[in-house]
Amino acid sequence: MLPKYVKLGYRYLVDHILTFLFIPIMAAVSIQILRLGPEEILTIWNSLQFYFFQILCSSFLVTLIATVYFMSKPRSIYLVDYACYKPPITSRVPFSTFMEHSRLILKDNPKSVEFQMRILERSGLGEETSLPPAIHYIPPNPTMEAARGEAEAVIFSAIDSLMQKTRIKPKDIDILIVNCSLFSPTPSLSAMVVNKYRLRSNIKSFNLSGMGCSAGLISIDLARDLLQVHPNSNALVVSTEIITPNYYQGSERAMLLPNCLFRVGSAAILLSNKRGDRNRAKYKLVHVVRTHKGADDKAYKCVYEQEDPQGKVGINLSKDLMIIAGEALKSNITTIGPLVLPASEQLLFLFTLIGRKIFNSKWKPYIPDFKQAFEHFCIHAGGRAVIDELQKNLQLSAEHVEASRMTLHRFGNTSSSSLWYELSYIEAKGRMKKGDRIWQIAFGSGFKCNSAVWKCNRRIKTPTDGPWQDCINRYPVHIPEIVKL
Amino acid sequence: MFSYCFPLLCLFYNLWKIFDRRRHQNCYILDYECYKPSDDKKLSTRFCGEVIRRNKQLGLNEYKFLLKAIVSSGIGEDTYGPRMVLEGREMSPTLEDAIIEMDDFFLDTIDKLFNKTGISPSEIDVLVVNISMLAIVPSLSSRIIHHYKMREDIKVYNLTGMGCSASPIAINIVQNIFKTQRNVQALIVTSESLSLGWYTGKDRSMILTNCLFRSGGCAILLTNKVALKEKAMFKLKCLVRTHHGAKDESYDCCKQKEDDQGYEGVHLGKNLPKAATRAFVDNLKEIAPKILPVRELLRFTLLTLIRKMTQKYNKTGAAARPVINFKTGIDHFCLHTGGKAVIDAVAQNLNLSEYDIEPARMTLHRFGNTSASSIWYVLAYMQAKKRLKKGNKVFMISFGAGFKCNSCLWEVMRDLDQDGNVWKEFINSYPPKTIDNPFFEKYGWINEEDPDTFHIPDDYVIP
Repeated sequence: MLPKYVKLGYRYLVDHILTFLFIPIMAAVSIQILRLGPEEILTIWNSLQFYFFQILCSSFLVTLIATVYFMSKPRSIYLVDYACYKPPITSRVPFSTFMEHSRLILKDNPKSVEFQMRILERSGLGEETSLPPAIHYIPPNPTMEAARGEAEAVIFSAIDSLMQKTRIKPKDIDILIVNCSLFSPTPSLSAMVVNKYRLRSNIKSFNLSGMGCSAGLISIDLARDLLQVHPNSNALVVSTEIITPNYYQGSERAMLLPNCLFRVGSAAILLSNKRGDRNRAKYKLVHVVRTHKGADDKAYKCVYEQEDPQGKVGINLSKDLMIIAGEALKSNITTIGPLVLPASEQLLFLFTLIGRKIFNSKWKPYIPDFKQAFEHFCIHAGGRAVIDELQKNLQLSAEHVEASRMTLHRFGNTSSSSLWYELSYIEAKGRMKKGDRIWQIAFGSGFKCNSAVWKCNRRIKTPTDGPWQDCINRYPVHIPEIVKL
Repeated sequence: MFSYCFPLLCLFYNLWKIFDRRRHQNCYILDYECYKPSDDKKLSTRFCGEVIRRNKQLGLNEYKFLLKAIVSSGIGEDTYGPRMVLEGREMSPTLEDAIIEMDDFFLDTIDKLFNKTGISPSEIDVLVVNISMLAIVPSLSSRIIHHYKMREDIKVYNLTGMGCSASPIAINIVQNIFKTQRNVQALIVTSESLSLGWYTGKDRSMILTNCLFRSGGCAILLTNKVALKEKAMFKLKCLVRTHHGAKDESYDCCKQKEDDQGYEGVHLGKNLPKAATRAFVDNLKEIAPKILPVRELLRFTLLTLIRKMTQKYNKTGAAARPVINFKTGIDHFCLHTGGKAVIDAVAQNLNLSEYDIEPARMTLHRFGNTSASSIWYVLAYMQAKKRLKKGNKVFMISFGAGFKCNSCLWEVMRDLDQDGNVWKEFINSYPPKTIDNPFFEKYGWINEEDPDTFHIPDDYVIP
């Protein structure tokens, strides 16, 4: 409504208000000094009696205060580097393979087959997503051995890649957090990592599960709390989802949906609070905000694992998923907004809020412009509908959600690791610059909405390795509304 | 003059801030509540025999093995099993069974805990749930949040797969959060899900878990609020975790896998005691300097040096190895009730008397091996017996798959009496005159049977 330059001017004024106040004061002071003249300044200077002892005491006190102040500040957490798993070409599942499998396995339920086809057409997935080897069998063969095999393949591969990139030795890892929602063997996956890499015996290991697609950010939150308490340490966070034991083998339609969307993927992230890593770290962690809507019945039940009438276990996604996601996002934004939005946006929001309360509640609620606060957005690639919904809610352009859409296309919904594939896409495209702020948003069962804010710490060269290495030049692709199968 | 006051004030303020932060970083247990399942879930000797007979996979050799295992297990007549076993459906448990098992525990114990302490669920800032063998979506922690309508900004962690030693791990998370935030109240819920892990094959190393693990759980309320210090029961002094997963023998000794016929179960290897001892010794080596008084450490060091020197000069007579006396720094021992052999081994290593290991033995007898929550039952026994006085130090140690050994030391904040404890109704009958397992009496005749002629008719009813 307002002309563009008015809005720009207002923004510039409010964001830099301190500078605007500071300049006149400095100008006034300097004019006063200039008016005095040089001889008068010298006499004033000489009249102040300085004793050597006083100077020593004062400087000692000042350094002491400064040291105490800096020591009591919370430690900064840096992301040194991260690595994503690139599935081998042999495990990819193009649409034709998926539909053929589906027709053979569900030959008694043509309606379910058709349902799957319709989902796949509109899913936004591409032809190069992967499923684990056990699921390629007809019928699928999900033994525990196969599940362990998939876990070893994806996790070890990601960690190997990370160790190569960061040149870290296994003995140097102090904290290990593994999150995998639906596969939890005894000993845990974290014990498996400790065993394979011969990590130290006083390592602090944690194995989180059941926390859905937002578990990656929960692990980051835990790592942050731990790194605040333990100085000079680093933390290895592994986010993954093991598909093998969770492939639904029944014919209920609502439970076939995850089969169409979830794909193999994992990410390994190295966080550190060491001074030495400050220069080589890629990102700095600024905020993590977690919102849990479990208290609400509908939110709790919208992603629910249960048995179908035949006794087969699968995950039921309710139809209200989008609405609930929108509400969870609103709650999360309410908390994160004041932390990240520039002063201009916050003032506008406050004014419209007051205006609605006092004057006229018909005023449209002001949706803060998050594009002012962030340069890049990593929205969990939960599905096409999720990305569409968030793009609408946050008023983002197509370029902002490109990373999410392309990750969904190339890798499918890899659950908690999808955020890291998206970040990798942005880096591969060479769009990440020093000082850029990134917002990672993830939704998960429960219903949770977690977000993390990162700041790019150094210039990032376009990576020559990584999951996008061989296909980045083909992206972005245009994903049609419906792919006719 | 004034120019010195201001920086000095700044300095004092900053120093006070650091000191004040330390004060707010202590981890206190406000209260805890152990789960006592309803009496209709008791596994009597007769019923256990029935369950074994129902499993058509087992033959006479397996019966003999089971008899030996159960008789020497130290488990009594009053332990509790999951509902689906008691309803005869252990061959085909469903996800519903597992969830009902957990709901029975949550709704009973967590309600009691909230009522006892007067704290409302919306005041909980941190929730850590550790239930090793069940990972569902949404997680069990979300289930609790949903049921109790907890706040949106709650910090929640759902740990799984961490075995019987998971309690100190959950406490570790809470301890860390307490150090970074003030005025936090945390709820830890620990239990084990037996429904989906019930082994239905005939591999001996895997069937052992069915004999040992029983239903149980505990909910613990912790805080770092200085204002609640007077109400607190225990204060955490130190916590040490040891992870031996890097060694292959330790990692493989307790593993969940499929047997030759494809049945899933937890395999307990023969070298489990050795792996456990190694992890135990390493853990003690790390925690001993932190909890024992200096004079005991000096005494031990001196004796070891003297022994080394006398051994050098006098190769024949070797003096007895000096043993560290843990009782100089610890008053009560909460040992994980992994089994009779585990308790005996730990008692021998630490030189403990019958009085010291009585709580662990009695817990094993009355509740069986309830996995991660067992140490809380042991603690509840000590409290019920009025053994815990202000200033006492309680040492908790537990072992778990991985192989992990985690331990922590608590200081008792006030004289604790019984009030509302899981042992309340029957504490006076403990310790019983005999803890011999009646299994031998009832089923000892199996040992006389010959495998070739052994046959149980289908309509055989166990007397």
